[in-house]
Amino acid sequence: MSSIDVKGQQIEVDEDGFLVDPDVWNQDIVEAFAKLEDVTELTEDHWKVINYLRDYYKQFGIAPMIRKLCKDTGFSLKQIYDMFPSGPAKGACKLAGLPKPTGCV
Amino acid sequence: MKIPLHMAKEKDLQSAGLVAVPEKEQQQALLKGIDEYRHWARSIMVMLETCTKCGACANACHSYLGTGDFNNIPAARADLFRKIYKRYFTWTGKTIGRYIGAEDYDAETLAKWVTYFYQCNECRRCAVYCPFGIDTAEITIAARSIMSAIGVVPRFMTGVAANMIKTGNNMGIPKPATIDCCEFMEDEMREETGLEIKIPVDKPDSDILYIPSSADFFSNVDTMIGVAKFFHAIGANWTIPSTVLEAANFGLLFNNDAMKEQNQRMRDAAKMVGAKLVVQGECGHGWRAAKMYTEGSNGPAPFGIVHILDYAYQHLGKLKFEKLPWRVSLHDPCNYARAGDIIEQPREILKACVTEFVEMTPNRERNFCCGGGSGILMDEMMDIRMQLGKKKAEQVKELLPLDFLATPCSICKAQMPHVMKHYGMEDLKMGGVMDVVGKAIVLA
Amino acid sequence: MLYFVGQVLPYIAGAIFLIGVIYRVAGWLKAPVPFQLTLFPAPTGGAGRVAAVGTELILFKSLYKNDKNLWLWAWVLHVSLAMVIGGHIVGIYFLMNQFTLIGMSSSASQATSAFLGTVSGIALLVALIVLFYRRLANPEVKKLSDPADYIDLLFVLVIALTGNHMRLPGVHVDLPAVKAFMGNLLTFSPTPIPDDPIFIAHFTTVMLFMIYFPFSKMLHFAGFLVNRAMLVEAAPVYPTPAGTPLRSPFAGAKAPVADSGQAKGVQA
Repeated sequence: MSSIDVKGQQIEVDEDGFLVDPDVWNQDIVEAFAKLEDVTELTEDHWKVINYLRDYYKQFGIAPMIRKLCKDTGFSLKQIYDMFPSGPAKGACKLAGLPKPTGCV
Repeated sequence: MKIPLHMAKEKDLQSAGLVAVPEKEQQQALLKGIDEYRHWARSIMVMLETCTKCGACANACHSYLGTGDFNNIPAARADLFRKIYKRYFTWTGKTIGRYIGAEDYDAETLAKWVTYFYQCNECRRCAVYCPFGIDTAEITIAARSIMSAIGVVPRFMTGVAANMIKTGNNMGIPKPATIDCCEFMEDEMREETGLEIKIPVDKPDSDILYIPSSADFFSNVDTMIGVAKFFHAIGANWTIPSTVLEAANFGLLFNNDAMKEQNQRMRDAAKMVGAKLVVQGECGHGWRAAKMYTEGSNGPAPFGIVHILDYAYQHLGKLKFEKLPWRVSLHDPCNYARAGDIIEQPREILKACVTEFVEMTPNRERNFCCGGGSGILMDEMMDIRMQLGKKKAEQVKELLPLDFLATPCSICKAQMPHVMKHYGMEDLKMGGVMDVVGKAIVLA
Repeated sequence: MLYFVGQVLPYIAGAIFLIGVIYRVAGWLKAPVPFQLTLFPAPTGGAGRVAAVGTELILFKSLYKNDKNLWLWAWVLHVSLAMVIGGHIVGIYFLMNQFTLIGMSSSASQATSAFLGTVSGIALLVALIVLFYRRLANPEVKKLSDPADYIDLLFVLVIALTGNHMRLPGVHVDLPAVKAFMGNLLTFSPTPIPDDPIFIAHFTTVMLFMIYFPFSKMLHFAGFLVNRAMLVEAAPVYPTPAGTPLRSPFAGAKAPVADSGQAKGVQA
């Protein structure tokens, strides 16, 4: 395990840099992750995606289908990649504090 | 030596039902594992004792061709196992070891094993080209299984295994999410076709149990939609099981007991809905596990097992298509062509669905692996994965421009976009064969 | 000493060769094949499987489609070796008159036999030298090779050299004497070895090679068959036909219970 420094606080992340405990998630962590994921500025659109992911995760315990994410937020997959350069599964899920999607992805 | 993988720690192992062996007991445990395995499966002794080190496999292996790393030559990779095997289990190895290439177990042994047995995609191409048919995938499967039993296994594998134990699929999708996904896909199909096309979950008294890849419920939506449209078109009485929403069987890729357990899930699910036929979705190694390993690991099966591409091919005459004006090629997943007898079916399906089908060279059982095979999908392996995908990229480049490249296996679907991007072909569209069926099929 | 070489060593060598090969192959066959390892596209039917392995055995098809240069020399090596071994058996037994059986005159048969023997002997020698050179010249193969890989080639090379020596012009070997000696050996009534230094050298190296054989990778000939048999096995059929025996104890053992909360929930 390693950790990242968020405003002086050590936050535990796994080897892929995802939050170990999704419950410690907060805005400061998102900002710290954003820097690591090459997200230059967190816009309203970013938050729309992040909040959608978190809500879905809270309800179903898993990340939503990528197409559903696009449809429900109104962003195309390309727009999502523009916002989160490492993509919906890695970048967006990491910022939203979800565990890393695993399996054949 | 630095291992390029993130290895499972005690907690990870526990979550996958495995235990760590303390470092000072590892040698003894590894040797015990080898001894049990060689009496358990004939292939190990025969394949280890038959190699004449002719080196013909070097040119056959995309892993060696892509990485240029000597230990990725199939004979050299198998030699990592062979050296230890000879040293401790052959009379000559015990006496005149150095003369026949035997080697003592040392502090590097396990590091070398885990590094190089996780750079073998278990694609079996070496077996096609070896004069003796030595199948390095067999050695890799054995080595990985023996290592995982002593707690030496990448964290990626235990993560998948833990999800499997928890939810019955690699991604960790719980049943409510499965139902939500199915409703979403049904909505999509309704919007597109105006028809009520169902994806039934756990429907009792179903004739057909369809086992999708869990990745179809995250990234490869079009594959599941294509399958649903196909079943709708033939009027099938089918269902998917929430208990085993996973055609993949990572057990085959790291631990034989886990493989047996996953096959048992399929069996239980088929029994639960009363299915006479299990149809496996687009997953390469999972198809191998289901077709080739079900009888051997779980005994006689009371139901049929067929691959969705074979099943769709059998019904091709009953389906109506409006051919897509596309130039399409097919990447043969290793576990279809060499290990699963799905060779001509995807070709015939694609030819029925699109206006132009082109073959890549080489193809069929001589095809090169995508470089992700055997579950080498860890992020930390990305650089190596790109090297493993080099031959594939070269093959595809020769065919451009392509409108679509069919890669009907979830591991290929996960690996290929990275490879194509890495080698400057990021605009290439890819997906399953059933994706194409879904787009070309004309429903009444 | 000659008594030992001619009348004792052959029985030691023969026993070690036979017992050794059987012991090792039996060791392989004792282990079950828990899963079908069919390599596709696979032949169907018994005859198809025999034909597939047979053509592979005779033509080295897999190697041909892989590396034509290696294929050529490996094939020449094995075919000439087969010719030489076959020639030893019939040539000595019939004193080179074996081709009279297909209607040749005795002198024509002798000439044909001598010609084939010489050509095979030289081809074997050349192939061994080329393959030895390849082992050193190809950096990948060189790195793969163990000392035994060179020794194996040299061992056969010495046998081929001493054998070829007997065919040199001006060198005469008393073939009827060799036939009598071999016949007596095989009928377990050994007689002294013909007193010919080159023959004794040749015979002795062959005996040593037979002792060496079961401990070496020379067993690849048996490995070929056992391995190929696994690769051409018929794929499983589902539903499993009634009466199909369990492939191995593994298939009979209960699967480790999938302790899945979700799975239990649905089954309940």
